[in-house]
Amino acid sequence: MLRTETSRFRGASWSWRNAWPKVGERLMRALASPDPRPLRGFGLLMLIAAAVFPCISGSFYMRLGIESLLLGTVALSVDVLLGCAGLLSLGQAAYFGLAAYISALMYLHVTRSFWLVMLAVIGAVAVFSLALGAVAIRARGVYFALITFSAAEILSKIAHNTREIGGSDGLIGIPIPSIALAPGLDIDLHNNTAFYYVVLAALTLIYLGTRRILDTGFGSVLRAVRDNADRVSFLGYNPFWYKLFAYVMAAQIAAFGGMIYPLLRGFVAPHLLGFEVSTKAVVVSLMGGIGTLLGPLVGSIIVTFLESVIGSYTERHLFVLGGIFVVFVLFLPDGLFGLARRLAAKRAEHRS
Amino acid sequence: MSRSKPMTRWMTTALAFAFAGLAHAADPIKVGVVTPLSGSYAPIGKQVRLGAELAVKEINAAGGVNGRPFELLFEDEEANPSVAVRKAEKLLQQDKVDLLTGTVNSGATLAVGQIAERNDRILVTTVSYAPSITGAQCSPNVFRVNANAFMQSSALTSWLIKNVPGKRYFFIGPDYEMGRSTIAAFQADIKRLGGTDTGSSFPPLGAKDFTPYIGQIRAARPDVIMTATAGNDTVRLLTQLKEYGILASHPHLAGAAGAVTQENIGAMAGAAEGFLSAAGYAIDIDTPANKKFVAAFKKEFQTEPDLFGADTYGLFYLFKQAIEKAGGTDTAKLRAAMEDASWETPQGMKTMRKGDHQAIVDMVVVQVKGDGFRTVGRVPGNEAVGPDNCDRF
Repeated sequence: MLRTETSRFRGASWSWRNAWPKVGERLMRALASPDPRPLRGFGLLMLIAAAVFPCISGSFYMRLGIESLLLGTVALSVDVLLGCAGLLSLGQAAYFGLAAYISALMYLHVTRSFWLVMLAVIGAVAVFSLALGAVAIRARGVYFALITFSAAEILSKIAHNTREIGGSDGLIGIPIPSIALAPGLDIDLHNNTAFYYVVLAALTLIYLGTRRILDTGFGSVLRAVRDNADRVSFLGYNPFWYKLFAYVMAAQIAAFGGMIYPLLRGFVAPHLLGFEVSTKAVVVSLMGGIGTLLGPLVGSIIVTFLESVIGSYTERHLFVLGGIFVVFVLFLPDGLFGLARRLAAKRAEHRS
Repeated sequence: MSRSKPMTRWMTTALAFAFAGLAHAADPIKVGVVTPLSGSYAPIGKQVRLGAELAVKEINAAGGVNGRPFELLFEDEEANPSVAVRKAEKLLQQDKVDLLTGTVNSGATLAVGQIAERNDRILVTTVSYAPSITGAQCSPNVFRVNANAFMQSSALTSWLIKNVPGKRYFFIGPDYEMGRSTIAAFQADIKRLGGTDTGSSFPPLGAKDFTPYIGQIRAARPDVIMTATAGNDTVRLLTQLKEYGILASHPHLAGAAGAVTQENIGAMAGAAEGFLSAAGYAIDIDTPANKKFVAAFKKEFQTEPDLFGADTYGLFYLFKQAIEKAGGTDTAKLRAAMEDASWETPQGMKTMRKGDHQAIVDMVVVQVKGDGFRTVGRVPGNEAVGPDNCDRF
């Protein structure tokens, strides 16, 4: 209902002067799913599949699974911003990479306590995302995308040119720590199976937490801000604070993946902050289905596995992946989850 | 193999099982090659691939290593360390390769070297030249058979001091980490060898206008101008030096191996004439081994080999020698066999230094003449190699 009223309001105030940002907003709104309700059954199925995966896979695929879940956090954070707040960020890798560098430097020079590192990462990312978010979300549409993109590039260049943190070569030698889950219960991350389940459990919690937060009144206001920020402010809410909260929350989600990455692969490098990681997160979110939260995670897993498998058979793997993306954009603009939802709706219609 | 169809793969596996008992001695020695096959580093990856393929073809045709053939498994690392690490893990854990090579950028070599160490396998780089790989960040499982940046600098500077009359040097490099560290190495070597450092300047990477720096160069009256610029930066720097008349007094031009290359030499309309640099290989090295290598390479691939192709080709003869000596591919024995190896390559004999796993390579000094390069001198490897800075093993 809000939606139809919104467009009438928009039609009245349309002018050439501010047409371009609105085109951007509209595009994003079209991409965002109209119905953010979860496909619960499908989610549960995915979780079961993920839980039994280590039983059938060797160490390489298990570790690839961990990496795909970690990259999935960037996709999830893109979706929180784009799907719920209508903000297209092209710089979410900034938080993934920032957390990766903080985590790497702390394990190398300060402490081996997982929880201390986590506290430092959460603190640093909160400060940085509040500062950058407060500037960036004042801009709309494509300008927001440009600011987030530039900030990530600046961080990447700083990492690239600072010899003390490894310069262009990055840092290696990051130890593989144990996580003290409870007194006397240490999880040794040398064990790939344990590592996998820790990451899977953490990601499930993050997903459910995000879902819970977005299902509250806060989420509803956020979606209203996405649809028409001006109107929301007439209702007595300040859109700024809602967007800022969503921005900080998304940053923390991506930072979680970044914090674990160096423990898996043993190194950090400037490109973790770069454009490639950011844009890939947007692309896999589109493939999975924007606004579904679960879709981007699934998209990330599929693309990470595809990249790894196709690359072994042909040098033209980028061409194949590019082709798959084009097919998605042309024929499945609402992604895999959009397709699943349409099929489910069709079946329900058929039954009634 | 890496590009064969899944069906062929299954059949090969099935056959391998069927004949496992009979054909044990002919089990291939699997070498994983993680190298950029796409993107802007693809030309380097191509030379790595061709060099490896030629060497393997020759060795296998001559009966392999103790009757076992080499088998190459290629993976595209996209010049991206996270992709490189992922692909290296696949080769190590899924394909169970015996050896790894191919990594190009230093970040990827360091990260993959660490993965090799954690999986108890050996990585040999034939391209990366960051001194840290066999220096501060050395690993017992990582070897390097190409010349590193330190060797390029010390070979070039020692040749310059001996063969160029003037002693006044000026340095100019792009303002980023790599440019500054290359210039710092040049400066340290020139000072050590008794040259005079008349100044240095660091224009931004991609600078269009070098006018502000040219006044400084003119005032310094250098006999030699050394640069660490690359690509189009070199083109603009050298053509502007020429336009401003700096080159009229004939200072010698010298610099990093990547400053003047076959790609940008044509764009400089002679401004790069006489430019000197040092490298671990030049195609016109006048030895029977190199002539045979160049001819075989051209015949097989209809293209010329470069530094990367030659170093990768040579590596497989080190593998062959070390596996024969170690009696197999056990990592500890292989490491021991490689640590004191001397082996024949297109460049001549290479010797592995046990202390830091850096191969000692004779260096060549090449000079731009017209649209090509010619070799003007050689610097023995033990003069260029410098101190062993590795203290991890």
